[in-house]
Amino acid sequence: MIHFDQVSKRYEGGHEALSQLSFEVPTGEMAFVTGHSGAGKSTLLKLLGLIERPSHGTISMDGKSLAKIRHSGIPKWRRQLGMVFQDHRLLMERTVFANVELPLMISGIARPERARRVRAALEKVGLLAYERQLPATLSTGEQQRVGIARAIVARPTLLIADEPTGNLDPQLAVEIMGLFGEFQQVGTTVLIASHDLPLIKRMKKRVIVLDHGRLVADLAAQEVL
Amino acid sequence: MPSEDIHATPPAPSVETSPRNQHSHGRRVASWQEHHGWSAAASLRRLASRPLGSLLTIAVMGLALALPLAFYLLLGNVQKLGEALGQSQAVSVFMQPGQSEQQAQLLAKQLGDRPEVAAVTMKTPQQGMDELAKMQGFSTGALQTLGDNPLPYVLQLQPRDGLDAAAIERLVSDVREMHNVDLVQDSGDWRKRLDALLGVGNRAVLVLASLLALAALLVVGNTVRVDIASRSEEIGVLLLVGASGAFVRRPYLYAGIWYGLFSGILAALLAVLIEFALADPVAQLSQAYDGKLQVGGLPLWLLLAVPLAAAVLGWLGARLVSAWQLRKLA
Repeated sequence: MIHFDQVSKRYEGGHEALSQLSFEVPTGEMAFVTGHSGAGKSTLLKLLGLIERPSHGTISMDGKSLAKIRHSGIPKWRRQLGMVFQDHRLLMERTVFANVELPLMISGIARPERARRVRAALEKVGLLAYERQLPATLSTGEQQRVGIARAIVARPTLLIADEPTGNLDPQLAVEIMGLFGEFQQVGTTVLIASHDLPLIKRMKKRVIVLDHGRLVADLAAQEVL
Repeated sequence: MPSEDIHATPPAPSVETSPRNQHSHGRRVASWQEHHGWSAAASLRRLASRPLGSLLTIAVMGLALALPLAFYLLLGNVQKLGEALGQSQAVSVFMQPGQSEQQAQLLAKQLGDRPEVAAVTMKTPQQGMDELAKMQGFSTGALQTLGDNPLPYVLQLQPRDGLDAAAIERLVSDVREMHNVDLVQDSGDWRKRLDALLGVGNRAVLVLASLLALAALLVVGNTVRVDIASRSEEIGVLLLVGASGAFVRRPYLYAGIWYGLFSGILAALLAVLIEFALADPVAQLSQAYDGKLQVGGLPLWLLLAVPLAAAVLGWLGARLVSAWQLRKLA
C-alpha cells in the first residue's frame, strides 16, 4: 500500500509542485495520475523514486515511511522499483541486452540467471530478436519497450512510468499499456503518469487527477468514462 | 519458460534497506568479482578507444614520475663518484721537526695497524726537499745553501675503501693526538661538502617526488573528472536503476589504476633508458679511476615499485574526484 499523507513539494525558487496531496494506492493496483502539464505528475513519481524528497507530509509504503530511507539506502530502494521514462533513458553505447541486464547486474544476480531473466523480459516486450542491437537502431516504440523490459526484469514491487506512451502512436500506446496491465495482474503495483485521456479512458483503471499540484479528483475504475 | 519469470509474483514490497536474501553470499561475491572484471576491461577499452588522449595523459604522468627517478639515479651516481674519489683521498701526517727515521717508521707502523688505514707511505725530509725544489724551480744546490733540512718526515695515509667522511674525520682527529705528530692535513674536505650537497639533493628529490606525485594525482583526477562529466547521462541512468556509488565509481577507479600503472611503467622504462645513456660516460670516468667507479643503476625493487605506487596514486586521484563528482551528480 502506497500512502501519501498531506504531501507537499516546493522546489528551490518557491514553485510549489505538489500541495497537501493525500491518497492511497493498494498493493497490486494500477492507477493513472493525470493532469495538464505542470500539474505535478512527474514530481509525484520523483518522490516515489526518491529522486526528490517532499517538503512536507509523509509518503509510506506498507506503513513504513520513505523519509526513513537515508541517502545511502536510496539505491536499494530503487532496486525494488521499476521506472519507465518518456525519453527511455537507455544507454546508447550498450546493446539492448546489456541495457535490460543493468538492474540485475546492479543487484548482484549471477550471469546465467541474468541471461535467463533478460531474455524472458525481452520476449515479453517482443524484442528478443533485437537483443544484440544497439538502441539507436530501434524505433522510438521499440526503445520504449526496451525501457519497460529493463523496468520489469528485476520483478519490481512497484512500477512507475512517466508518460510512457508520450512518443508512441495510438496502437503502440495501447500495446504498451496492455503490458503494464499484465504486470499489475501478477501483483505489481503500477502507477502511470499520463495526459493521454483517450488512452486512460480506454484502460478503465483508477485515475488520480491533479491540477496545480492539488488532488482534484480520484476516480475509481468504474467511474472512468 | 521465459514468460513465467516475468509473470512471477513480485516479492513483498519493503522499505527496509537490508538486501534481499534471495541470492547466496557466494553468488553475490561472484557477481561482485564479475563486475570488477567487467569494470577493469571496460575502462581499458575506453582508454584504448581514444588512444591519443590516453597516451598524452600517460606520457605527462610518466614524465612527471620519471623526473624524480632520474634525479635519484643521478644522485646515486654522484654518491658513488664521491666514494670512488674518496679512495684517492690521502691524509698527510707531518711529524715534529728533528724526528729520526726510526721514530718515523715506528709511527708509520702504528698508523698502518689501524683498521681504517689501507696503506702508509713515508716521505723523508730529503724527498720533501727534492719535491719542493722541483715545484718551485729551485736547484737542489740552491736549497742546500739553507744548511740543515728544515722539513719533517711526512706520512701519507690512504684510508680504507668505502670509509665515510665521519670515519675519516675521526681518524684525522686520533692521529692529531698521537705522539711526535705536528700537523695533520686531510685532503678530503671536499668530501664533506659533497656529502652535505648530497644530503640537500636527497631532500630536494624527496620534495620533488612528492610534488610530481601530486601533479600525477591531479592529472588522473582531472582526466577522470572530464570522463565522468562526459558520461553524466549514463551515470544518471545507472543511479536511477539502483546502482550504488561504488558500482558507478568502479570503472573510473580502474581507469585511474590503468593510467597510473601505464605511466609508472613508462617512468621505469625512461629511468632505465637514462641509465643506459649514462653507462658509457660513467664507464670512461671509471677507467680514469682505475675501474673503481661503477655505474649505479636503479634497484629492481624500485623499478617494480614505481608502477605499483603509480597505480595506487591513479586510484587515489580517481577515487577523490569521482566521489566528489558523483556527489554532485546524485
